[in-house]
Amino acid sequence: MTNELAIKADGLGKRYLLGGAGKNHDSVRDLLVDTVSSVFRRRDPATNSASEFWALNDASFEIRTGENVGIIGLNGAGKSTLLKILSRITEPTRGRARINGRVGALLEVGTGFHPDLTGRENVFLYGAILGMSRQEITEKFEAIVDFSEIRPFIDTPVKRFSSGMYVRLAFAVAAHLEPEILLLDEVLAVGDITFQRKCIDFAKRLQKKNATILFVSHNMFTIKTMCTRVIYLKKGKVHFDGPTDEGIKRFEEDCRLATVPWVKNAKDLPIVVKGVELVDQAGREKAVFEHGERMTVRIQYEALRPVKTPNFIVVFSRSDEVACCNYTSESDKFVIDEVSGKGVIEVQTPPLSLVADTYNISILVREKGFGELLCAQLGGSFHIRHPLFDQNFACSTEQAQWRRIDADVAAAPSDRNAGEPYLVVADERR
Amino acid sequence: MTTSASAVTDIRPGKGLLDLDLRGVWRYRELLWILIGRDLKVLYRQAALGAAWAILQPLLAVAIFTVVFGIFARFSSDGVPYSVFAFSALLPWTYFSESVRRSGTGLVNEGDLIRKIYFPRLIISLAGVITPLVDFAVAFVVLIGMMLWYGVMPTWQIVMVVPLLLVTGLLALAIGLWIGPINVRFRDIKHTLPFILQVWMYGSPIIYPLSMIPERWKALYCLNPMVGIIEGFRWAILGKGNLDLTAIGISAVLIVALLASGLIFFRRMERTFADLI
Repeated sequence: MTNELAIKADGLGKRYLLGGAGKNHDSVRDLLVDTVSSVFRRRDPATNSASEFWALNDASFEIRTGENVGIIGLNGAGKSTLLKILSRITEPTRGRARINGRVGALLEVGTGFHPDLTGRENVFLYGAILGMSRQEITEKFEAIVDFSEIRPFIDTPVKRFSSGMYVRLAFAVAAHLEPEILLLDEVLAVGDITFQRKCIDFAKRLQKKNATILFVSHNMFTIKTMCTRVIYLKKGKVHFDGPTDEGIKRFEEDCRLATVPWVKNAKDLPIVVKGVELVDQAGREKAVFEHGERMTVRIQYEALRPVKTPNFIVVFSRSDEVACCNYTSESDKFVIDEVSGKGVIEVQTPPLSLVADTYNISILVREKGFGELLCAQLGGSFHIRHPLFDQNFACSTEQAQWRRIDADVAAAPSDRNAGEPYLVVADERR
Repeated sequence: MTTSASAVTDIRPGKGLLDLDLRGVWRYRELLWILIGRDLKVLYRQAALGAAWAILQPLLAVAIFTVVFGIFARFSSDGVPYSVFAFSALLPWTYFSESVRRSGTGLVNEGDLIRKIYFPRLIISLAGVITPLVDFAVAFVVLIGMMLWYGVMPTWQIVMVVPLLLVTGLLALAIGLWIGPINVRFRDIKHTLPFILQVWMYGSPIIYPLSMIPERWKALYCLNPMVGIIEGFRWAILGKGNLDLTAIGISAVLIVALLASGLIFFRRMERTFADLI
């Protein structure tokens, strides 16, 4: 690590106008008038208006060459906006940044792939889109194909690829970029575990070459393995900038009972969650559960005013915001007459059918009949372990009953596999 | 990624009015060729007749015009076979309208790229006017074949097709630079463009000769920059009459004005493409 600066951001801000991105022109005429007049007068970026929203606000930081920095924060905190500004996809509304070195930005894997072109043609297309020269791609072509593990299909149009193959090939190209500064947005979250490991290896290889890496992720585990420093963004501002462990600790504390990001009138909600505990069947509090285990979610709440027949809802969602399962007191015919003051509600889940991943808990309370929202808070997160399945296979998996009904096989259902944990799964993806 | 090893990138809001960053476009020229190559490869893929469509399309268009306007409506064709007369104008017109369509709607079609990758957005407009050159070249060969079939011999003037084509491309680019950013904001462009182009086509001397326009309306008529260009193509290809320098001059002035203002407008709007698409 040298003391040379790779990135210096000075008061970066990006403003969006609500109710449709950008300026609201009602007609082409307005747009033309506005453009013509703005040519003659400098825009005043500080103009204030009720309908504007600063996705990023006065962000300043310095990143030295060779540093690996994680960007963390809730959804909508400005992480992606920051990467978009640094990669020049969009311009800041104010502030400035100086970048010293060749930038490679991976905000999404496979943007620019054309479905009608073959794998080979797409390697050249995507490589050029990412900024590699034709000569560079030609030299690395064999290595790219090996990395992707899809050599037999390299001359097939990619529209016939499975989504897994598609991502592999795209990432293989991206992994052969050799930027001095790499901007990564959650791209390591693709592919199965072996493939993810390859991707982390790619980042580590770049680290060894003294590359500067800026890495946005919701996965705190990956952040911990890759970054020595984190920048924690909160509502568009740099909330914390320092050692990874401390930053993640602060972030997780904030996340624990924060209001769900989509709620607008957070202050008016009558029920407040004061604490959430996850307990296993033995009564121990923990954060890592096995697939098939039962979990008890213990919710400490406070009702600021008496609320009749509230409906408690517990939702588990993945880091990509896909809600994977929920439990609601109303659907489970559990009637809560009234809540007022402090109290505790507990829900024990059936054996968890979720696959291996990290899940975020949200606690919602609604009026009877899924009416008005009374509470919407985050309740921390937990991990599920499963020896085989992760989100590439499914959201959840459960043991089912199987039988053959061919003519020459006895039609009786077999319970032979009842004691065996899993069916043998043919390796169908490669 | 295309900046050199010691490159310093400066990121700040809206730079000067005349900062057109043409050097950036030059640095990304390889991406330009790759995008053009992609569009060409995809164009006729999974069509049973494949690239033969590049030959069939202009032939079919000329056949329809010849039957409707040459045989039924008996439009004058200044003494050359109507098919050759129509084709010599349809050739630049097809290139022009396809270029305007591509460069005008390209930004929206490449929305995914614009949202996720940085490159000078001008590349998309440029690719839009370069890609149709291949269809132009094929149609040009077909036209020469048709002329020889009808016994119309090309003269030395035919080399003038090259500069005229460049002018056509610049006009299409200038229009693309104006309507592309507007299309990003108002998708209405996509729906109105085909009608505008159709009206424009009938307002240009393609299916009828310029001599059909009454003399007192001619100055007004020549304000259409395609008039000078199409007459220029007829002169170069058929080798008849004189080059109408007034019409060409009007076209040139209009093109320079449109192109300069279009570049500034495009650069100004470019900053927010990623937020609007």
